[in-house]
Amino acid sequence: MSAPVLTEQALPPAPAAPRRSFLSGYLRQPVVALSVLVLLVMAVLAVFAPLIADEPAGAGADVLQPPSGAHWFGTDDLGQDIFAQVVWGTRTSMVIGLAASLLAIVLGTAIGLAAAYFRPFDAVATVITDVMLALPTLPLMIMLAAVVSPSVTTLTLIIGFFAWPEVARLIRSQGLVISAMPYIDGARVLGATGWRIVTREILPAVVSLMVVSVLLTASRAVISEAGLSFLGLGDPDAWSWGRILLNAQRSGTIAIAWWQTLFPSLAILFLVLAATLAGTRFNDTRDPRRNGG
Amino acid sequence: MARFVLSRALKAVLTVWIAITSTFFLLRLLPGDPTTLMVEGDMTPEMQAALLKTYGLDRPLWEQYVSYLRELVQGNLGISFRQIQPVTDIILDRLPWTLLLAGSAFVLTVAVGIPIGVAAAVNRGKWLDRALQGFGISANALFVPSVAILLLVFFGAQLGWFPIGGAIDPDTRGAAAYLSLAHHLVLPVLSLVLVQLGPYALTLRTNMIEVLGEDYIRAAQARGLSARRRVWKHGLRNAILPALTLMGLQLGTLVGGAVLTETVFAYPGVGRLIYEAVGQQDYPVIQGAFIMLAVTVVIANALTDMLYAVLNPRIRL
Repeated sequence: MSAPVLTEQALPPAPAAPRRSFLSGYLRQPVVALSVLVLLVMAVLAVFAPLIADEPAGAGADVLQPPSGAHWFGTDDLGQDIFAQVVWGTRTSMVIGLAASLLAIVLGTAIGLAAAYFRPFDAVATVITDVMLALPTLPLMIMLAAVVSPSVTTLTLIIGFFAWPEVARLIRSQGLVISAMPYIDGARVLGATGWRIVTREILPAVVSLMVVSVLLTASRAVISEAGLSFLGLGDPDAWSWGRILLNAQRSGTIAIAWWQTLFPSLAILFLVLAATLAGTRFNDTRDPRRNGG
Repeated sequence: MARFVLSRALKAVLTVWIAITSTFFLLRLLPGDPTTLMVEGDMTPEMQAALLKTYGLDRPLWEQYVSYLRELVQGNLGISFRQIQPVTDIILDRLPWTLLLAGSAFVLTVAVGIPIGVAAAVNRGKWLDRALQGFGISANALFVPSVAILLLVFFGAQLGWFPIGGAIDPDTRGAAAYLSLAHHLVLPVLSLVLVQLGPYALTLRTNMIEVLGEDYIRAAQARGLSARRRVWKHGLRNAILPALTLMGLQLGTLVGGAVLTETVFAYPGVGRLIYEAVGQQDYPVIQGAFIMLAVTVVIANALTDMLYAVLNPRIRL
């Protein structure tokens, strides 16, 4: 669930020593360490939500209370605890963010690599990718989410399905570079099948790009989920940060109860910023030429 | 040039057609398709069948698609479930507001982004440059409703400088009406600009740094051109092109942001309409709004590309 676990799993089984120094060099950057810490704390909140706060339900006696010792983040117009809502919302955001991102990575990598190696497929894939990138994604997701009954599963599928084109474009451009390298020609001369070349020779070369993509796509997925929930298309049975904002919007308490909108907003900001920074720094550490710029 | 315009227009039409076709079939293949959603549970089977027949939903999928496309070409997006009114009319009522909002945000982002990006490139490594880099990366993490709510609470509710909702004061006339319009536009536009500005200015900065290292800039320096002229005339002209492409690619995000901003500020555009239609489960309106927004984005994107061609002599055909 946290970034370092993913990183370790996703790294190719290359020589161990330089890789380890890469990882420790990566984690030793203060920005990265802080980002990973934020992601870890969020992951702990998500996993242990039931132990940290009761799932908010029903109406409470303390209505629209500002933050206090009893209610750290205050209460909403129904008297529900905002802290509990934010903690439970962490769960939804992280689950959808990660699951949708993994779906997008699998689709995007498969399509990107196929496009990079099998030239006839490239034209089709490029047209589809371009079309999907040209369309306004949020209205598209709204339309689909409105028709299926929104749940954590359907939202994951919808968000993941519309996040793959950016991954595909990234993987394709890297894959094209790799495909043109002499060792690929060598493999072909030795009689390797296209499938073998793509999975054994090209795929390992784009793995680090995939790690970056997981983090960046997950951060976009979190924003998408929050947007859909804010428009009333979230899972009605799961708390979500977007839903807390929607509740404030619906009850007309936006202008009065600042705590009801501030805390979920900060949660979104911290999670997405941490994932983005961890991702971009990974990219910079991997390829020092990108530093500065 | 004419050939470029034609091929670009063709590509736009193709994009819209693929979008419409794929969503048409996707919506009908999904588990909860709109036909079952429209039919209320307490109807007799005969009533259901009659209703399905009225809307032509009993015919084969292929026939439905053809007639849907035929209607669409004539500008017919169907009838709203809740307001007995053509969807096209409902959306066209709202679209100008969204165009005003997104268009203003687009122009302002470019107008503010250029000087910031150039200043950061010229003062590389100084505080402005560092601030821009930090802002550019964190802009990715800005959630439009959060920014909008923050602005609404602070500048609208607390300070009372700007209205907290709506698009215009209906009692104003003449010049006062335009003033009221602009007054209502400030906070929604600002929400979008804050989210868009970082990446745009950052791209411009990167391009500018690259361009300023080119030979012809050094040649200009050798010819004794002032730094100001080198940067603003020779440098910017070339640095601005990739940034323009980025803005074209960002149009979809801009429209998505407009949907969210309009919801927060009760701004009467297509975005607010989508929010209302979601609450009322008015599927024809949601679908129609998507198609109209997609067409808008695709047209705007094509126009951006054509502008690029006009500005860039290298691909002027």
